[in-house]
Amino acid sequence: MTLPETLNGLLPIGGLAGEVVAAVIGAALIGTIMLTNTAVAGPWAKRKITAKFTDRIAVNRVGPAGLLIIVADAVRLLAKELIVPEGVDRPAWDLAPLLIASSALLGFAVIPMGSGLQLADPETGLAFVFAVASMASLGLVMAGYASNNKFSFLGGLRAVAQNLAYEIPLVLTGASVVLFTGTLQMSEIVAAQQGALFTLGPVAIPSWFAFVNPFAFVLFMIANLAEVGRNPFDIPEAPTEIVAGYQTEYSSVYFVLVYLGEFVHIFLGGAIAATLFLGGPAGPILPGFVWFLIKIWAVFLFTQWARSALPRVRIDQLIQIGWKGMLVLSFANLVLTAVIVGAIA
Amino acid sequence: MTNAWIAIGALAAVAVIIPLSMMLVSWLLRPSVPEQGKRATYESGEIPTGSSRSIKFNIQYYMVALLFVVFDIETVLIFPWTVIYTDAIEQVGLFRALVPMLVFIGILVVGLAWAWRNGAVEWVRSERAEEQRIERTEG
Repeated sequence: MTLPETLNGLLPIGGLAGEVVAAVIGAALIGTIMLTNTAVAGPWAKRKITAKFTDRIAVNRVGPAGLLIIVADAVRLLAKELIVPEGVDRPAWDLAPLLIASSALLGFAVIPMGSGLQLADPETGLAFVFAVASMASLGLVMAGYASNNKFSFLGGLRAVAQNLAYEIPLVLTGASVVLFTGTLQMSEIVAAQQGALFTLGPVAIPSWFAFVNPFAFVLFMIANLAEVGRNPFDIPEAPTEIVAGYQTEYSSVYFVLVYLGEFVHIFLGGAIAATLFLGGPAGPILPGFVWFLIKIWAVFLFTQWARSALPRVRIDQLIQIGWKGMLVLSFANLVLTAVIVGAIA
Repeated sequence: MTNAWIAIGALAAVAVIIPLSMMLVSWLLRPSVPEQGKRATYESGEIPTGSSRSIKFNIQYYMVALLFVVFDIETVLIFPWTVIYTDAIEQVGLFRALVPMLVFIGILVVGLAWAWRNGAVEWVRSERAEEQRIERTEG
């Protein structure tokens, strides 16, 4: 049962109107949940995590443990002057932050978050989420080209090259999971991971695909790092090389949207990884939604860990790793998985 | 069973409305003092020279982009196969379910090997850049 269906049962409105109202309420709820996560992650958790890794203190003045910095930062950034640089390509320059932010949010439409929190469950769920997640690269190119800044331009071109190189490994490792499940429907993929793989004394190891096929999980996590543009693949931003890449010329609310879009994208990557490889919202004792949050935050922590611990690769190395390493390995993974699934069946 | 795409459309609307409302709030709050120097393109504090659209950037990875189109269509073709794979084994046997796809992937891998050998999957592949690279290692 998806979230709009539950809401529709509670509402006194029937027919199409009831469906639409329930869908809008559900969508607003999902959007709010993800924006809340992003608000905690962006201004606060990211700083705290990076500070811990580099042995510093980070925000601790505003509110308990500096938590109110979220409010302070939101007001500060929204109240900043929006500087429109000379020669920007106006509609594209304005649309890019919108596209980056909203495409990442839209991906959560099909993610099963547990406790009945799933907005929609179409049969093409996985294909939909990959398609929507890759729309963000269009926003990055628009931002890079329209800014009329050489750093932005380079960042935009790098973003394309990177997404071209890592999109296929990402999708192919996703396809290797579909070989097991035989469906693209997200709820079915989660359901396929509920059985016990083997029992280790009193602990039953669930048949999450991260345990069934750890090789695919590792490939997916690496490709996901590239997809969300975090170290060692933060080439499109590369603060020490090209200032801030495609977001160099953005200020005020546009900067907020680009930044927010990036963090929602990290969470979306985490949500896809959780659904495909970590049993979705499944887990003992705690309710499903809590487990879902734990899993996406674990992936977020992993990206921040990578950001603090790993040096950036060069752009030519990135292309080589993508096309000569990841692509070949993901094909090998797909073929091997197909052979093994076939041998078992 | 309600239509899933109504809910997805609703989230699409919400996902556009939230950023738009943030833009509106910011528009109400923010000052606007467009001074001349402030609006200059950022080039590390120097006076900007030329437009970013007049620079000649060699997009050498266009071969990679072409290759991407090939592989992307391939993944589109692989996805239906992965969905029906387990059912197909039961119906027509492992050999007929697996081997045609292996041949298909094999052809594409040959294509990748060709591109690899010809240096298409490189960021820089101009002869001049290669010369500079050799000079640097010697000097």
